[in-house]
Amino acid sequence: MSKVYFSTWNGESINNVGKPVEEWEESAYNLPATYDDHRDSRAFIGWDGVALFDEDVDVIRLAMEYAAQYQVYSEACGRCAPGRWGGQILYDTLDKIARGEGVVSDLDHLKEIGQSMQITSKCEIGKTVPNPILDLMEHFDDTFMDCINNKKKSKHYDETIGYIAKITAPCTDACPSHVDIPGYIEGVRDLRFDDSLEATRQTMPLAHVCGRVCPHPCEDACRRTNLDEPISIMALKRLGADWETEHGYDFFHPMEKKPATGKKVAIVGAGPAGLTTAYYLAADGIEVDVFEELPVLGGEVTVGVPEYRMPWDKYLKDIECVKDMGVTFILNHKVSVDDMNRFEQEYDATMIASGTRISKKVRCDNERPEIEGYWGAIDFLDKVNLYEKFDIKLTADERKEYAIDEEFVDLTGKTVACVGGGFTSMDVVRCSIRAGAKRVVMIYRRDEKTIIRNTTYEEYHEAVEEGVEFMFHSAVNTMNDENDVLKSLLIDKFELVPDPDGGRAKLVKIEGASETIEFDYLIPAVSQSADLDFLPQDWNLEMTSWATIKTNGKDYMTSRKGIFASGDCEYGPMTIVNAVGQAKRGASVMSRYVQTGEVSLTDDEIMEDHLMKLKVYNKKEKITGWLPGLKREHSSVLDADFRKHNNEEVNLGFTQDEAMSEAERCMRCYYIAMVQA
Amino acid sequence: MSMMENIINFTINGQNVEAKKGETILQVARKNDIYIPTMCYISKTTPCASCRLCSVEAEGLDGFVLSCNTPPTEGVAINTNSNDLERERTNIMKLYDVNHPLECGVCDKSGECDLQNKTLEFNVEQQNFSAKDLSRPIEHWGLINYDPALCILCEKCVHVCNESIGDDAIDIKFGGYSSVIIPKNSDKLDCTFCGECIAVCPVGALVSSNFQYTANAWELERIPSTCAHCSGGCSLEYETRDEGIFGDKEIYRVKNNFEYTNLCGAGRFGFDFNNKATKDEAAFSKAVSAIKEAKAIRFSSMITNEEAYILGELQEKFGMKLFNEDARLFASFMKAYSTVSGKKHHSGSLDAIKQADAAIIIGSRVATDNPAVRYALTTASRHNGAKIIYAHPMEDALMQNTVTQNMKHEVGTEEGVIALLANAILKDADLETQERAFFDDLDLGYLGAECNIGEEEIAQMMLSFKRAQNKVLIIGADIMAHAKAKNIAKIAAIIEKYSAFSLVVIPSEVNTLGVSLINKLDIDEDIIDVVGYNAKGNFVLSSLEFANLSIPSLNQQEGTFVSIDNQVLPTNVALDFKGYTLNDIALSCGIKHKNTIDCTKMLGSQSGFKEIEFDALENFLTSHGDDKRGYILDEVNCKMNGKLEAVDTLPEFNGTVIYHSNPVLQFNAYTNTTKQLERDTSLRGSAQFAQAAKISDGDTVEISFGAQVIQRKFKLDADLKGTIALNPTFDIPVDLRRYKFEKSKIVRMTNE
Repeated sequence: MSKVYFSTWNGESINNVGKPVEEWEESAYNLPATYDDHRDSRAFIGWDGVALFDEDVDVIRLAMEYAAQYQVYSEACGRCAPGRWGGQILYDTLDKIARGEGVVSDLDHLKEIGQSMQITSKCEIGKTVPNPILDLMEHFDDTFMDCINNKKKSKHYDETIGYIAKITAPCTDACPSHVDIPGYIEGVRDLRFDDSLEATRQTMPLAHVCGRVCPHPCEDACRRTNLDEPISIMALKRLGADWETEHGYDFFHPMEKKPATGKKVAIVGAGPAGLTTAYYLAADGIEVDVFEELPVLGGEVTVGVPEYRMPWDKYLKDIECVKDMGVTFILNHKVSVDDMNRFEQEYDATMIASGTRISKKVRCDNERPEIEGYWGAIDFLDKVNLYEKFDIKLTADERKEYAIDEEFVDLTGKTVACVGGGFTSMDVVRCSIRAGAKRVVMIYRRDEKTIIRNTTYEEYHEAVEEGVEFMFHSAVNTMNDENDVLKSLLIDKFELVPDPDGGRAKLVKIEGASETIEFDYLIPAVSQSADLDFLPQDWNLEMTSWATIKTNGKDYMTSRKGIFASGDCEYGPMTIVNAVGQAKRGASVMSRYVQTGEVSLTDDEIMEDHLMKLKVYNKKEKITGWLPGLKREHSSVLDADFRKHNNEEVNLGFTQDEAMSEAERCMRCYYIAMVQA
Repeated sequence: MSMMENIINFTINGQNVEAKKGETILQVARKNDIYIPTMCYISKTTPCASCRLCSVEAEGLDGFVLSCNTPPTEGVAINTNSNDLERERTNIMKLYDVNHPLECGVCDKSGECDLQNKTLEFNVEQQNFSAKDLSRPIEHWGLINYDPALCILCEKCVHVCNESIGDDAIDIKFGGYSSVIIPKNSDKLDCTFCGECIAVCPVGALVSSNFQYTANAWELERIPSTCAHCSGGCSLEYETRDEGIFGDKEIYRVKNNFEYTNLCGAGRFGFDFNNKATKDEAAFSKAVSAIKEAKAIRFSSMITNEEAYILGELQEKFGMKLFNEDARLFASFMKAYSTVSGKKHHSGSLDAIKQADAAIIIGSRVATDNPAVRYALTTASRHNGAKIIYAHPMEDALMQNTVTQNMKHEVGTEEGVIALLANAILKDADLETQERAFFDDLDLGYLGAECNIGEEEIAQMMLSFKRAQNKVLIIGADIMAHAKAKNIAKIAAIIEKYSAFSLVVIPSEVNTLGVSLINKLDIDEDIIDVVGYNAKGNFVLSSLEFANLSIPSLNQQEGTFVSIDNQVLPTNVALDFKGYTLNDIALSCGIKHKNTIDCTKMLGSQSGFKEIEFDALENFLTSHGDDKRGYILDEVNCKMNGKLEAVDTLPEFNGTVIYHSNPVLQFNAYTNTTKQLERDTSLRGSAQFAQAAKISDGDTVEISFGAQVIQRKFKLDADLKGTIALNPTFDIPVDLRRYKFEKSKIVRMTNE
């Protein structure tokens, strides 16, 4: 909240014109009153209104410069008649007034064209650019009339002023990778799948992956929700990637690789964060070596996410796309303390993207890892996926350790309990079904609604269809073993008791309801922690309270200069898209750092952070100009009785008809925000 | 019940209307003849949604709804007219008019310009808006000129280029008011020059460079006709005018009904193949004697059904033989097909291809062989996401964005390939015992190895077809002269019979199919006393140069063709011919038809022709795009006595191989005579081919194949891969009896 001189943001009406600074009111919104460490904002103007933080702002020029952005931001504009001509007319007419050549009728024409744009433009930019301009014309009529009547220039017309603009959209803002979602959907709608894919790859190299297994936070910020249902944003992403693969194209990179800079970066881990860092650094002409402990590339998406959700041949395409940019991968290399010291000497910077690969404990009695039948989720999924995707078999020792007869994870006749509630646990139980287990039970402390919120509606229902039993409001109390072999679990039951004071409801154990159930395996999938033994002790890297590497969450540099961290090892176990978003930002900062020695953010990145704070999506906004009631499409899935016996991709993706009708629902909610700093 | 769920009932201007699932408000309005103005909408592509004129109101909703891309919801009440709509639409027209150059007096589009029409329609009398104009230089892209100052950025051209044609050669350079159309990923326009962008341009921004500033739209006479260059049967209009006061009538340009159909560059720009010869009585009497004495008449398939019919009458009257190897081989293929399918005509059509979500094409470099098929595949690919398998010894870069799987096979192994395909497709089909035995007897290992097609390729194809509903098998003209063509035909027939695949067989020339149905053809022999009819002979009647008697070209005649769709299509006289016609000769021989087109109704019901007078044939598309041209052949039942022959040894083609295939826009001797079409007569090959043949770019080479020895320049083509070179046939004809891939000897003549 900040004091403002004037604000019409989101319908608020603050006008402190003529009042002393100390009497100014505060805006109700997180407006970017401070631009960065060394600059204050003088004004903020955007789709939803305008805020002035300084009475000296030249409002006519501000309106004019905002209109100019409409012409500048080419990727979003020129696509409709009202926008293409209207935008230019707004700019030219405002400029005419600002340079002291305006006439009174110009104001009428501005209003007329502004209103036409608001009603008929193709996208939200065209519809919203006139909003703050008309606000300024209304509230600062005297200022406009003064320039017109006295044929004078606006007060700072000839001065150099810094205006910083940024294009965004509610979905793009909500996406941790800030993918140009309206752009890639437009590509699908226009049947220009190369354009679609390039739009995605500007900030997200893993288009196959995030077109399949992203939890799509963007869909929670889809404006279409205000009208009927959110766009199926994620599913539309894979169309571009599938098109490139199906037609045997080389990779559509959205940028040209820059000439070699002579700089080198080491990356620890070839998962989503490592791959993303590598892709964007390589594109900037930086030599990249990626060190991976596993014998395969791709990190948890390879060894964690099962084939039926993320087919390896598709992920491989994403990885090849990164490789195609010119990246060196070193497999089977577990990075050591010595390596880290060496990286610091030999490379210009290092990115740690080692993930979180230690399964946390359930915290029950007698939870001893040496008990046969106790199998950490990460290790379990490693073994399943290495066999299914790469035919890497269990060694004799492993078969003994896990009590498996076959050379692969075969659970025929076995009973499996998994404790979890997130994506990893879903992967465990569904893989267990496919491994032939007799009975698979998910033990979860909370309820069905929560598990759906923590994963996805589809994921939960597909698991149920495949025969997974869900035991809600339950927790393992004790592991019962005989000679270090798991026999059964004592499971407590809980109920949700509302707080009489109106606080959060509490889970209370139901006495006498506990039961003992026989199980051959207990697979803990509650959470993971980071294995950071390879960090040199003497670096004393700052850590978070949950034992991940600490950065400021903006530039992703650790407490040690030149050492960066992103993905799960920084944030804690989170989504692929989160890792990609962090790594993309990290790569951008690293690229400048290795070339200049400075740790900095671009204006675009600063604006990105401001807008996230402000929040672009407004769930209360009333949408006009679109017909409500058009149903969201759902892609078909394989029949449960068929799919539970194999690893074929469950989700068949959209048919072309489904994709087109879904893409047509997208409202292209691009917005322009601009700061005068 | 399920049908009901797919119908949405709603109202437009109070009138009850219904929409099928997937239809938009605008489509339903048009279907019901309710007018909604548009500037950027084109029926055959996805909506451009740039003009916003088609905005409508929905009762109870604030703001407008765009009708072109919005499907209706149940019960919604749509209003297409109101004062608010009128005001905003008028404002949009004012915007379009801002800085639009006032050069209507010379603009090619004047008189048929959407911008002129809509400016008048909305009565734009005054301009409230102004913007600083920009300098926008005119671009010259070969056959096409682009004037960005006239461009309204409707995006129609970009949509058709990608979605209907498949070139995807133009793009929008976004930038607000300075947005322009640019060649995609290239400095200059690199495309197949179909000119469809010109056709759809609503203003004078994209124009034919040849036509520009030569005539006004209203001076031109329009003659509806059918394209004569391939078997696609594309409808077109020749536009003619007298050249000056004493000048002859000339074709100025060709246009097509771009709202619903496409036309390739050969059709659009290759129109001036008319014969300017005049009456030569001496030559005429020689021609009559030559015919009377001839042992045979050899003719090409660039002929109308009616001419073919008259040739048949001459054959009957004088007992001579008729030679046309192209049509004879086609007939032989279709006959073998009929013995298994039990019917005379293939079941598929260009429309079936357009609606397909799965297709296999074998035996054609289709983008150049038959652009109509290519465009249909493009539509299927873009609009249905069709999985398209391209089985051929050479990949085609033009097809990359359409084809989803190249099934590259060894030259000559088409019989093996189609057997492997049929084996996979009919795996679970309920075949008769002997048919099943054919498949059981296939040596899959041998076939796979000889064809060079792996099991995984077949598996990948079947996987990609898993969700397909509408499938098409397309057989190209390469197959016709294949030694095992008949067995291939039977295997194709059995696929059609026992699977969801429909079948399309591509006739090689404009009327190969018609001739194959009308004439009794003999095997061509190297004898003397042969009269050539647009073909070689001891006495030649031809519409081309060097004729003993000149006859009219196909754009100078009335008559009909049979297209790939089994559709009998009328062609009309665009330009008069001043000499003699075949009918004149027939008259002198005692075969009496007043006009050639008297034969239209006599073509023969045994082949599916109808007894309809030429003048009774319609030749137009309705405003909703329904094809009302000519008629579709009736189905004719045939005896089913064919048996599949076992597939034995497949041939091998080692050494230097050339493939007879024309470059873009060239088809035959007629396209070769036209002014605008590029004539690339070089032998084109990859670097790999050049290395193997020990030749380099620019070399003049001597190529020997069969009994022919020809000379050509060799050109290195970066788009080509592999060890086969492309040899054009439009300038130097080749023996049509021979398989299109030839083992050949190539010797370098000079080194430049």
